[in-house]
Amino acid sequence: MSADSAIDPEPVAVQPLSVDMRRLTRVGSRPSFLDYLVQLWDFRQFIFYDARARVQSGTRRDRLGSAWLLLNPIFNGLTYFLIFGLLLKTSRGVDNYVGYLVVGIFVFQFSSGAITSGARSIRSNKSIVQAFNFPRAALPIGANVRELLSAVPLILAMLLIVVVLPPAEDITWLWVLVVPAILLQSLFNLGVGLILARIISRVHDVTHLLPFALRAWMYGSAIFYTYERFVTHPQMLAAIKLNPLFNVIDIVRDCVLYARVPQWQSWAILAAWALGALAVGLVYFWKGEESYGRG
Amino acid sequence: MDAGEKEIFIEGHPCVVVDSVRMRYRVASSAASDEDAEPSKPRLLRRAVNKPHMVTVQALNELSLVVERGESVGIIGRNGSGKSTLMKIISGQSKPTSGAVYASSTPIMLGVNAALVQDLSGDQNVILGCLAMGMSRAEVDEKFSSIVELSGLEKSIHLPMKSYSSGMASRLRFAIAASVDPEILLVDEALNTGDAQFGDRSKLRMDELREQAGCVFLVSHSLDTIKAMCTRVIWLDKGDLIMDDDPEVAIKAYQDFTRHLSKGNNVSAAKILDDAKANLVATEVRGRSSRRSRG
Repeated sequence: MSADSAIDPEPVAVQPLSVDMRRLTRVGSRPSFLDYLVQLWDFRQFIFYDARARVQSGTRRDRLGSAWLLLNPIFNGLTYFLIFGLLLKTSRGVDNYVGYLVVGIFVFQFSSGAITSGARSIRSNKSIVQAFNFPRAALPIGANVRELLSAVPLILAMLLIVVVLPPAEDITWLWVLVVPAILLQSLFNLGVGLILARIISRVHDVTHLLPFALRAWMYGSAIFYTYERFVTHPQMLAAIKLNPLFNVIDIVRDCVLYARVPQWQSWAILAAWALGALAVGLVYFWKGEESYGRG
Repeated sequence: MDAGEKEIFIEGHPCVVVDSVRMRYRVASSAASDEDAEPSKPRLLRRAVNKPHMVTVQALNELSLVVERGESVGIIGRNGSGKSTLMKIISGQSKPTSGAVYASSTPIMLGVNAALVQDLSGDQNVILGCLAMGMSRAEVDEKFSSIVELSGLEKSIHLPMKSYSSGMASRLRFAIAASVDPEILLVDEALNTGDAQFGDRSKLRMDELREQAGCVFLVSHSLDTIKAMCTRVIWLDKGDLIMDDDPEVAIKAYQDFTRHLSKGNNVSAAKILDDAKANLVATEVRGRSSRRSRG
């Protein structure tokens, strides 16, 4: 390599040094999984501060500021209502179609936003990752906490629309069940986000595919139609209904629109997805701990 | 490799052990590619994917160091000699291609570090950066005013980071990074900027840190600084370790070398390099009573 030198001498002498390594740890090494979870707990203040600070600054550039957190899904809902409700008439056979649509869109949008920002959290915070040594999972978790915080006004707006727009629904005690459903959903989002975050930190191209995947998922989650109308094969229908996001949406619709207790199967499917995704996501993300932000 | 010399037994616990570290980068080159470099791939395909020609850069050839408590190590060398690469590897920011760095505590690098979040304000960045370094919220509150004072930003601390000039941003970065008292301190002065007034203040703080730290690594283009602060100097050239000696000796050799180079005496400069290399005694780390088995 040294072009300047006429000869390239090997080290002439080698001096072996005996070193006591007992108190040393390898720089940047990955802790055991349990230690990792403990570290994450120790960094909880970082996670929450990161989430809170960014919720406030997220829309600072816009004139309407935080109002966009609400306006965005409302416009979205309006678009789908015009196209699917009025033009294509997928509304046939659906009770309170506006409510049905609004719940579907708002709930799905929470997931798609959270998964996207979780997936991008390592890439978009590369400078922080390179500057500080903290458990990297703090970033996807922070992104999800942030999305959960900004989902609060979103969900409130959704409930308001359901109450105000005709046919207005009554508020029942079942509405309380929305909270655990959303919490389970956000665990699921975090799990998926963690998996994608590791993939994207390696292969950035996946970010370009993510919007398409989410769109396909949305069309497949019975947001502006019912599965029953298009799928007649019973086994097929059962398989489609394993979709975790459909189950959240279904639970919320049952509670909010139709005042009926959600089926235990929906809860079971959702909980299995949420905890499964979280466990797989955490382990998979932890395995890549040493690779983030490097190169 | 063993030159038959006796193994030196190092008492006590060293601060940093750099064990046969080597760094290679794969980077895109704009130079025309060798046609036979990748004969398996058709040219058209490569054009379509638009992957530029990749070359391997040897940033750092195999290098071992043992640094004990109380040592301050200056690293000198021309641009591109691998100084910053070595610092990044020791601090854990980059992962070496082979080999590993062991340290008795997390090394902290001052300088370019503490990259910040553009959308957040200065004070939010201070809190976030401190939390990311593992401080608790109470510690942050305690240190907050001294950080702001050191940064010299005064009222601008409440403005978003993106409105800062690059000098202001780097002052804030330094102030955040300098708020911890690390045992192992790395200072990359080549990358430090700031006006004269800040220069004095940061120098004071840096001296303070250097006194408290167990061991210090310093990269600086000012040989006077190195002579004044360091107890040991490492001279790198084009990724090779050239010298590892007392500051007086190493700096003199390096000054001779650069003087010859600037006069255009490439041959005599190369001779100095080769002489120095020929006298170099390379280190070989042999871990003792470590749980890790070393290959």
